[in-house]
Amino acid sequence: MKNKSKMKTAMKKDIRTKRKPRTLKKSKKSSSVSGQKKAKKSVSEKGNRNVERSRLKRQVSDLGKNRNHLRDTVHQQADELKIKNGQIKKWADKERLAEEQIHIRTKAMDSTADGIFIIDAQKKDFPIIYSNQSFQTMTGYAKKDILGRNYFLLYGADADPRIAKEIKNTLRQEKSFYGEMLNFRKNGEKYWNYLRIAPVRDASGVVTHYVGIQTDVTLMRQRDFEIKEQREELLHVTRVGKLSEFVSSLAHEISQPLTAILSYAQAAQRILAGPPTEQAERELQLQEILQYIVNDDQRASEVIRRLRALLKKSDPEFRPIDMNELINETVVLMTTDVTVRNKVIKTQLHSKLPLIRGDRIQLQQVLLNLISNSLDAMESNHESRELVIRTFCKGPKTIMVEVKDSGCGIPEQNMEKLFRHFFTSKPEGLGMGLSISRSIIEAHGGRLEAKNNPDGGATFYFTVPLMKRANARTKDRSL
Amino acid sequence: MTTRRPIIYVVDDDISVCRALALLLKSHDFHVETFTSAKDFLASKHPKVPSCLVLDLRLRHTNGLVLQETMTTQGLTIPIIFISGHGDIPKSVKAMKGGAVDFLPKPFTDKELLDAIDRAITKNKIQNKEQSEIAKIKRRIKTLSPRELEVFRLVASGMLSKQIAYKRGTALQTIKVHRSRVMQKMQAKTVTELIHFAQKAGLISSKK
Repeated sequence: MKNKSKMKTAMKKDIRTKRKPRTLKKSKKSSSVSGQKKAKKSVSEKGNRNVERSRLKRQVSDLGKNRNHLRDTVHQQADELKIKNGQIKKWADKERLAEEQIHIRTKAMDSTADGIFIIDAQKKDFPIIYSNQSFQTMTGYAKKDILGRNYFLLYGADADPRIAKEIKNTLRQEKSFYGEMLNFRKNGEKYWNYLRIAPVRDASGVVTHYVGIQTDVTLMRQRDFEIKEQREELLHVTRVGKLSEFVSSLAHEISQPLTAILSYAQAAQRILAGPPTEQAERELQLQEILQYIVNDDQRASEVIRRLRALLKKSDPEFRPIDMNELINETVVLMTTDVTVRNKVIKTQLHSKLPLIRGDRIQLQQVLLNLISNSLDAMESNHESRELVIRTFCKGPKTIMVEVKDSGCGIPEQNMEKLFRHFFTSKPEGLGMGLSISRSIIEAHGGRLEAKNNPDGGATFYFTVPLMKRANARTKDRSL
Repeated sequence: MTTRRPIIYVVDDDISVCRALALLLKSHDFHVETFTSAKDFLASKHPKVPSCLVLDLRLRHTNGLVLQETMTTQGLTIPIIFISGHGDIPKSVKAMKGGAVDFLPKPFTDKELLDAIDRAITKNKIQNKEQSEIAKIKRRIKTLSPRELEVFRLVASGMLSKQIAYKRGTALQTIKVHRSRVMQKMQAKTVTELIHFAQKAGLISSKK
């Protein structure tokens, strides 16, 4: 309101100043008129007077025109000012609205469960300049610990440095990053972070900031793991050799119907041998019992049918196999296990490894067994994380596969017993894995051996002969 | 007549096993009650007749060993015959130590089961007899006056009347009167029997 009244007074002033020239002109006019009257007296010519009159008339009409023009200008300017006044009001409203919106946005950012942060891309060390409440909760750091610091410093010391590097590279190329990774809160607690970082550009297209959103997907990951674990359980049971639990539950499942069947049958015998009750009643009773026996027999058969399907094992099928491909597949299969244990599998695969002949499933069983043994060996040691699988040619006719861990190694006295049946150093182990693996490799015409590494850990290595005959080919693959 | 017929409780989470065992045992004139959970069994009534429990080691929400422990803490003395689908040795040892009568691996024949039930019922009868005898002795003890009870304790601990009289500073004659009244009230014919009663009632420890 105040502004408005000020504006009005300003306008009035303006109008007054604009009027001034008009009064000036009026005084000029009057002076010129008096001058002409003097001239009339001295000349006193009628014609002259007429000329004078018409000239004066013209001047009056000109003055009228000028006056009109001035009036229009004043009106126009007043209108303009009115519009300007309205605009200023609008701007003020807009500003208020913008303020409100910023407030709502900040509130919304703080209300979401996703962690949101903004990085200043123009400072060298990419400091965080904004973080919302959830980001603080998720990372466990207070606002003062976050602002001004580099994102990766909050990332947890145990987190995989490779991912950090990947993120940095992506950002340096001014691209968006998204990915899921294991992070650590300030208190060391693990959480799965689904992170998205996108560049923010100014009008000229220069990246000024990065905005990051991270979601704690730990629960989802756990559920996924559980499903995956169940799915892989079968695989492990049949291929890695964790049979004891399975056999035990199977025994229970079969013995239940068998117990029932035996008791039904013996009850029936008893009824038949007992004192003759009414014929019809007895028959009915026996019929019922027989039906129960049939049902339970079907139940037992179902268990056995499932078991057969599970252990269905055709004779080993020897086919051309690309060992590198098989290793990659197997590593993928173990990914969950490896990630959960916070270990890393590295592969150094010979790029021109010749094909071999073998049974895919059986060889995969060997690989799975060796990998899971190595992981077990590294379990207790948090320092050792790396498991390396190498393939290379061993002479002209064989390839060699090495599984090298950085675990606890093999005690010298166990070296000899390692491949025996039922020898195990694990409390839950059956002592079957390595002996089965060795017999598989031997069936393929190769050898499976173990040695301790000079720098700690153990290496298991096996050879497999190349595919014979002319159709043996090499497979080029760039890595 | 029916009340004296032994009750066989069957607890197995497999309904078919329950049904089959019920049929089999009924054909042998047992009174059978089946339960598919330990909870249902504990919630049911257990009349004071010779009985035994045929219990599956592996139950859906708990296991037989837990039920065995619960029964012990609740003072439910019913002999247990464990049945199990896997011949789990450590568990069976634990079960037997907990007072199980038998441990039958599934599947078992009717003879194996009936023999086990026979042993369990016999054991339960002895247990019940023992319990009712103890109850009887305890009832008799309640009729004793405080002084008689004291004399009873001292006699049961092996002291002679003279020693008691000396210890209590009472006339020997008085002690003898108390003692004969204790014998009378406890319905003991000899001192040996009296000591036996005291042991059963837990008045003195059975050792020494």
